[in-house]
Amino acid sequence: MFQMFSDISKVLVILIFLALSLFLLFTKIFKIRFPYKSYINYLWTFFLIFAASEATSFGIAIWILAVLCFMALREYFTLVDIRLQDRWGILGAYLSIPFMIIFIQFDYYGMFIISIPVYAFLGIPFLVTLGGKEIKGTLLSIGIIDLGLFLLVYCIGHIGYLALFSTWWAIMLILNVAICDLIAILMRKRKNHRWSNVLTLYFVSAPITIILTLALSYWTAIPWFHSVFLGILIPVLVSIGRHTIRYIEKDLGISRNQLLPGKGQVIDNLRSFLYAAPVIFHYLRFFSMRSDTF
Amino acid sequence: MKLFFGVNVAGRKNLTSINQYIIIANHNSHLDILLLFYILPIKQILTTQPVAAEEYFSKWKVLFKLVNYLFSPIWIVRDREVGDPLKGMREALSSGHSIIIFPEGTRGIPGQIKRFKTGVGRLAIEYRNIPIIPVFLSGTERSFPKKSTIPMPIWNHVTIGPPQIFKGESQDITSSLEKMIRELSESETAKRHKRYKRPKPATAFAVYGIDGSGKSTLSRIVAKKLSDAFRVCLVSDNLEFYENKNQKELQPFVTEKIREALGRYAKTAKSLKQYKIPKMAELLLRDHIMGEVQRWYTPDIIVQDGCPLINLAAWAKLYKEEYLDTEVCAKAIRILTGKREAIRKDDPIFKKFPELAVLRRFKLDHMRLPDAVIFLDVAPAVSIQRIQSRSEQRQVHETEEKLAKLREGYLLVTQVVEKEFNIPTRILDGESEIDEVTASAIEFVKGSSPREPEYE
Repeated sequence: MFQMFSDISKVLVILIFLALSLFLLFTKIFKIRFPYKSYINYLWTFFLIFAASEATSFGIAIWILAVLCFMALREYFTLVDIRLQDRWGILGAYLSIPFMIIFIQFDYYGMFIISIPVYAFLGIPFLVTLGGKEIKGTLLSIGIIDLGLFLLVYCIGHIGYLALFSTWWAIMLILNVAICDLIAILMRKRKNHRWSNVLTLYFVSAPITIILTLALSYWTAIPWFHSVFLGILIPVLVSIGRHTIRYIEKDLGISRNQLLPGKGQVIDNLRSFLYAAPVIFHYLRFFSMRSDTF
Repeated sequence: MKLFFGVNVAGRKNLTSINQYIIIANHNSHLDILLLFYILPIKQILTTQPVAAEEYFSKWKVLFKLVNYLFSPIWIVRDREVGDPLKGMREALSSGHSIIIFPEGTRGIPGQIKRFKTGVGRLAIEYRNIPIIPVFLSGTERSFPKKSTIPMPIWNHVTIGPPQIFKGESQDITSSLEKMIRELSESETAKRHKRYKRPKPATAFAVYGIDGSGKSTLSRIVAKKLSDAFRVCLVSDNLEFYENKNQKELQPFVTEKIREALGRYAKTAKSLKQYKIPKMAELLLRDHIMGEVQRWYTPDIIVQDGCPLINLAAWAKLYKEEYLDTEVCAKAIRILTGKREAIRKDDPIFKKFPELAVLRRFKLDHMRLPDAVIFLDVAPAVSIQRIQSRSEQRQVHETEEKLAKLREGYLLVTQVVEKEFNIPTRILDGESEIDEVTASAIEFVKGSSPREPEYE
């Protein structure tokens, strides 16, 4: 019975991935342009990871996530104003991706959780100082590199670790965030970024995410009260993430009207996960370790 | 290229419909050539040859062979005496091949477009039927800049401009192409986060002369006149700030108050010996205030009523006349400005002037040399008359004999800063009419290029 349930869930993940692939292929062949293409693209990327995890092995899936982190970080380093002598620091940041991913792959939580905030954050300033003799701007460079690494590698890495615990937990997170993003896109016509907009977005999203989390609890095996709480919590985290990253995007010169690869597209698509992924990961890990109902 | 670096291409259609062309692009990195081959239609790759500097690549045999094998470049030697550098390009174009040229000649400063060399203009005249395609490359200057060993994954953007057919002279064609590339750079350069830029240090002008020469009056007038276009700070007995010809209120510095007190104390000295230490301290503080002014008020121009460094050097004439000559003066200025690399610790100058050793010992040897100086020359007798007319108590050095020596000292220092330190200098006759002196001073100051506020 359990085997059958597992097989059905695997098939379902692969089917969602295939449906998204077919849709994107269709739009590519017939050159159909629609405004939310990048939004579907990132959903496809995550389902590629989950489908790879279910169909092949988690080892392959996690390295696809590593490529996603690499792409996000590459875009970030393209946009920031870094000095030429910071190149060693940037190299260190890129090398931190496999350094973290290996710990996820081998389920070494203790090292995963400190890999970037301790070792990479200590190593990168040292590497920056090796790059040249110019002292002015060192602090800013280290801050820029470390922040990018933290947000776009470490925070996104939590989705990978969540998928290691349960692919459906990660799918629950992705779909909830996707719903919040979709509602935000649909409400984008409202001009001016105001707190009232953020609150409206939250109160529209929360009922849907609660229903979705409850509906997915069949596969996630999350108890109903935790599902409801997660349904309430995820839109809050998405709102905070979107609001905060919006400031960084503006400073980086990312214009939502001109989202091209290399000019903010990847960062813009990932911004809703940056707060949600680590918090939801720690929430689920905490309660799953202490509760028999999970 | 796309997977590792990421490449955005704009205007690819400008390249696809043409069989033969000359591509010109800005040059920042060795990656440029790979990027240009990446954008070429597959059928054009084998018939397109880049132009490369033989003397550069032939330094490494393996690299030379690799480049030769991969790109079959047209090798040129960047030395006119060797022969016609366009010969290989003519042969390639005549045989129906396309070529890629970097008209800057070499990889320049990352992110900056250098002046184009005229070879491309000459080719454009000779092959008027072959279109020239301007391409702007950005990102390579960061992903694999000059002198770096490891390429870094950073997005590159390629903007392909429309094909051009030119008429006219080679010089005009070259400048049109350069302009086109610059325009493409404006349109396509990725907006990037820019750091806060520190304003460049203000241009400092010093007006100096013996007491009673009218330097305070002149410096104030100059400061006011310059303030219609610049933010000007006057470092005189008082600190004054001018903008749009109006004097602005300034928050007083603590150091400024100490300096004023020291200045007043020095004026009451009964002998030159008593005068020396407080005056030196006052001058050092005045120099320190220059730094504070730059830091807190960021003016475009600082006008100094007297220059602490020049005053210190010139006053040596009064205290140790026998030692002061052009060479000693230049050496002293080097020590006081911290440029003492060639001066040994046991140099005789430190015995002649132990004050210099003390200043160096206490790390006070980082005084500022102004960017231009005006010496207001007045005969000592005239200056004595002017001092008397002020009805103030005369200072210890305000005698005709001492002022004459001081004048000699100032003239010597003026000569040294001009010849040894290449600082623009102007000696003005302080006995002329004030309007005349002012006009000459303003003309000199403006001619010494007080720059628009720049940022580094």
